[in-house]
Amino acid sequence: MKWLELFSVAGTTLVSALTVVVLYSLGVRLTAIAGDTRSPAPSWTRPLAYTCFAVCAAAILFGLYLIIPYFHHK
Amino acid sequence: MVALVISLALFFDFTNGFHDTANAMATPIATGAIKPKTAVALAAVLNLVGAFLSTEVAKTVSGGIIKEGADGVQITPDIIFAGLMGAILWNMITWLKGLPSSSSHALFGGLIGAAIAGIGIHSINFESILQKVILPAVFAPIIAGGVAYLCTRLAYALTSRHDPETGDKLTQKRGGFRTGQVFTSSLVALAHGTNDAQKTMGIITLVLISAGTQAAGSGPQWWVITACALAIAIGTYAGGWRIIRTMGSGLTEVKPAQGFSAETSTATAILASSNLGFALSTTQVASGSVIGSGMGRRGTTVRWGTAGRIALGWLFTLPAAGIVGALTALLVQTGVIGVVIAAMAGTAAVAYMFVRSRKSHVGHHNAVQIEEVGQAVQFRKKKSAAKAIKNGGVQR
Repeated sequence: MKWLELFSVAGTTLVSALTVVVLYSLGVRLTAIAGDTRSPAPSWTRPLAYTCFAVCAAAILFGLYLIIPYFHHK
Repeated sequence: MVALVISLALFFDFTNGFHDTANAMATPIATGAIKPKTAVALAAVLNLVGAFLSTEVAKTVSGGIIKEGADGVQITPDIIFAGLMGAILWNMITWLKGLPSSSSHALFGGLIGAAIAGIGIHSINFESILQKVILPAVFAPIIAGGVAYLCTRLAYALTSRHDPETGDKLTQKRGGFRTGQVFTSSLVALAHGTNDAQKTMGIITLVLISAGTQAAGSGPQWWVITACALAIAIGTYAGGWRIIRTMGSGLTEVKPAQGFSAETSTATAILASSNLGFALSTTQVASGSVIGSGMGRRGTTVRWGTAGRIALGWLFTLPAAGIVGALTALLVQTGVIGVVIAAMAGTAAVAYMFVRSRKSHVGHHNAVQIEEVGQAVQFRKKKSAAKAIKNGGVQR
């Protein structure tokens, strides 16, 4: 039985999905803080938010790389 | 016979497409991230692209479930015909009932049934069935659901904003998740295209090889790839609105942050499984994710009645498609007349179900706002569940 594969799939899914969601949530949160009108936010929040989104975009691109065999079968 | 099997295979591809639109597009439609028609068009294009992207030779679909090779048995076009018949009929039935069920399992079931009836019980590799069909069916929803649950909890925890002095809730500003959904759901659609169109290509190639029109061991021909890609794209665009309704609003209320978490879990689970060699069904992963994300948000109830019906559908997929496959195989064995009878009966059954579906039309206009419209004729359970939610108060 392929228990090892099963566990590695479960583990990989957990770690990568959590990473993406945490980063994206942080991005959303930081954008919200940066957009606050009542209390001025620190200036680093907006760049940091964009960094979070960028890392997520990179994760999606990595997913594309995995989907398309053309990139890694030659 | 070969032409018949090929057209049947393409039709299966079509049902596969519209059955599985929901996996990728149900949650963004439910949250309003993408308009329904745009969503299915996007999914169709991505499926088309996905079908062309994968250049790997479409492997034998039965994948060791039916013993092949020198000491095994020869799969004939008859068996494939019967198997496809079982798979298509089961896909149509589950679509009519709005149940997301795995198209691959229907195909496996049909082929297994046809092989048992046509060749004998010894042709089936039961260990392989356990490993490739039953175990993944148990674990796919658990893994995806668990991950989606954790993701949703985290997403809400990280974005919940309270006024530091008064403790009042501030505007949450979670609109960003809606944009994110567009990308995550696209990834799911693309992954689906690369996986599922391959199955049909594999079948048609198998038929061509067994009929002697193509050299053994060669890959699918270009017209096979094109036809399969088109069939799955058209099927996706036709949109299985009934299943979208079940996935998008039948299981739980979906909010953007939830949808994003669910889709991320689905996409990563599919990618991880197809790259690490433990194949999981897209449908089962997606359903598990939606349920998990429903459990993760406070103030949401998961409609376990609907979830139970879906699970029951999964349980029946293999045997039901198998029985139809077996019956068809028996018919086909009687000769040309049997083939004609089987083809006619299949066409009649599909036509009947299509007419039935017209009576309670579910289209892009009413796929997910069904509770407001109040048309849920077949879905009484859902209505009462919706009431319960309204009474309980929905927290955003």
